Amino acid sequence: MSLASVTSITATLLVIGIFVMLALNFDYIATNIESQVEMKAFLVDGLGQDVIESMKKNVESLDGVKTVTFESKTQALEKFKEKFNNNSYLLEGLDDRNPLPDSLIVTMISPNNAKEISESISKMSDVENVVYGKEVLDKLLKITYALRVGCLLLIAVLLIISTFIIANTIKLTVFARRREISIMKFVGATDWFVRWPFIIEGVVIGIIGSIITVLALSSVYMYFVKTLSGSMLGIMSFTIMPFSEIVIDTTFFVTCIGIFIGFLGSVISVRKFLKV
Amino acid sequence: MTHFFCRIIKDFRSLCRNIILKGCDFLIRLNDVNKVFTDGHKVLNNINLHIQKGEFVFLVGSSGAGKSTLIKLMLKETEATTGKIVIDNEDITKMRRRYIPHLRRNIGVVFQDFKLLQEKTVYENVAFAMEVIEASPREVRRQVPIILSMVGLSKKYDLYPQQLSGGEQQRVSLARAMVNSPKILIADEPTGNLDPDTSREIMKLLVEINQRGTTILMATHAKDIVDNMKKRVVAIEGGRIVRDEMRGAYCRET
Ligand SMILES: Nc1ncnc2c1ncn2[C@@H]1O[C@H](COP(=O)(O)OP(=O)(O)OP(=O)(O)O)[C@@H](O)[C@H]1O
Ligand SMILES: [Mg+2]
Repeated sequence: MSLASVTSITATLLVIGIFVMLALNFDYIATNIESQVEMKAFLVDGLGQDVIESMKKNVESLDGVKTVTFESKTQALEKFKEKFNNNSYLLEGLDDRNPLPDSLIVTMISPNNAKEISESISKMSDVENVVYGKEVLDKLLKITYALRVGCLLLIAVLLIISTFIIANTIKLTVFARRREISIMKFVGATDWFVRWPFIIEGVVIGIIGSIITVLALSSVYMYFVKTLSGSMLGIMSFTIMPFSEIVIDTTFFVTCIGIFIGFLGSVISVRKFLKV
Repeated sequence: MTHFFCRIIKDFRSLCRNIILKGCDFLIRLNDVNKVFTDGHKVLNNINLHIQKGEFVFLVGSSGAGKSTLIKLMLKETEATTGKIVIDNEDITKMRRRYIPHLRRNIGVVFQDFKLLQEKTVYENVAFAMEVIEASPREVRRQVPIILSMVGLSKKYDLYPQQLSGGEQQRVSLARAMVNSPKILIADEPTGNLDPDTSREIMKLLVEINQRGTTILMATHAKDIVDNMKKRVVAIEGGRIVRDEMRGAYCRET
């Protein structure tokens, strides 16, 4: 078991691990934002309480709808006032003739359903208009999709590169034993008989590398979470993935990748020496 | 037209040969074997060689004649360019890569440079050959001492190759080749690094192994050994078999 192999597999796993953590966070933040996306259905003025109740039920029964809350025009005005607290001149005279309509606020299970839901709601009677920040949402979906795919592609490329780095490192060990391998082949050893000790070695190196990587990355992440929660989280509208969750996921992915790289690396490095 | 007749004659010839050869108990059959290396160098030219079970065959010829290449073909270390090689009733030219280990378990090999593992003892070097083919530890413990006493190394089982003379090292490699009781023993210049006396001892061992029923093919430059033994001699020159005599000598008798 060479120190060189452990070092190089740990180095590559660290890089891969950073991207795994980034990908996990993109995913986490994206789903967080997506779940916060609301849809507003503006209603015709002067509807009775019972009509509104039954409309609420109808909307709730639609596929993909999570919650429906009623916001009266007075409540809407209150909110509006709160938002523009300092610019009260804008609000002058609004109390007498409130221009804001009643509305139903709809949250969705997934923003992917937004289009169909908005279409179904607009078809209902007494609904004036449905808005859900279509462009913003579409852009957000595109960005998060691109980020996820980008991270995965990068991880795949890193995986290939690091497999060859590891294969080359393990090749040194195999090279030192090439005489033994060729004699094994002469007396009738099967390829797998020659291969498996190297594969075990590769997998063990992979596991050791993963452990070191996970320890290093998770302590850095813990530090990161601590500093962030103190200073910035209040300003930002999203949070990064909590420590307990990311540690489990990262450990899983990094260990799998470590074992995979170790396995494939040894298979590749032994291959040349089996041709006897 | 002539082409057509040629083909009929060729088919008929090979048919006859197959009928004749089927009757005999040939362990090794090479039919029309050619070997051309990728650089265009034609090393073996239309080799036809049939060796019966229990025979002792010397392969002689000057350096570069193609003896080692012929041996490598039989071990499937390199592929024949054309032709057919049948060993123990198996056409190895068509053999899949993953069956090569089974071919080699039937053939013990000994080389001029012994090819022993320096960091293993005599015992371990021999046991290694059994472990590699996944023999049980019990079998290993039973078989290795038997084979070591056959080559006369019972007392030196605990020594490392550097502590042995050349002759003793070659005995170890013979023991390793024979420990799995192969049907064929191929030796490529096994006495090439040994003095005449030691060579004679190794030859004695080979004769003994042969008398127990193992077929032996031995490539050599040792004229006096070949002349003394009066065994079958196959001579190769420039990749062709130029002589094949049942009780032959190293050189053509004049
Ligand atoms: N891989 C190869 N590529 C090209 N030519 C080769 C290769 N291996 C062997 N040869 C050529 O094949 C010829 C025969 O080599 P071979 O080793 O079979 O001779 P040999 O009869 O065993 O000689 P010696 O008695 O010296 O051992 C040589 O001319 C050699 O250069
Ligand atoms: Mg040779």
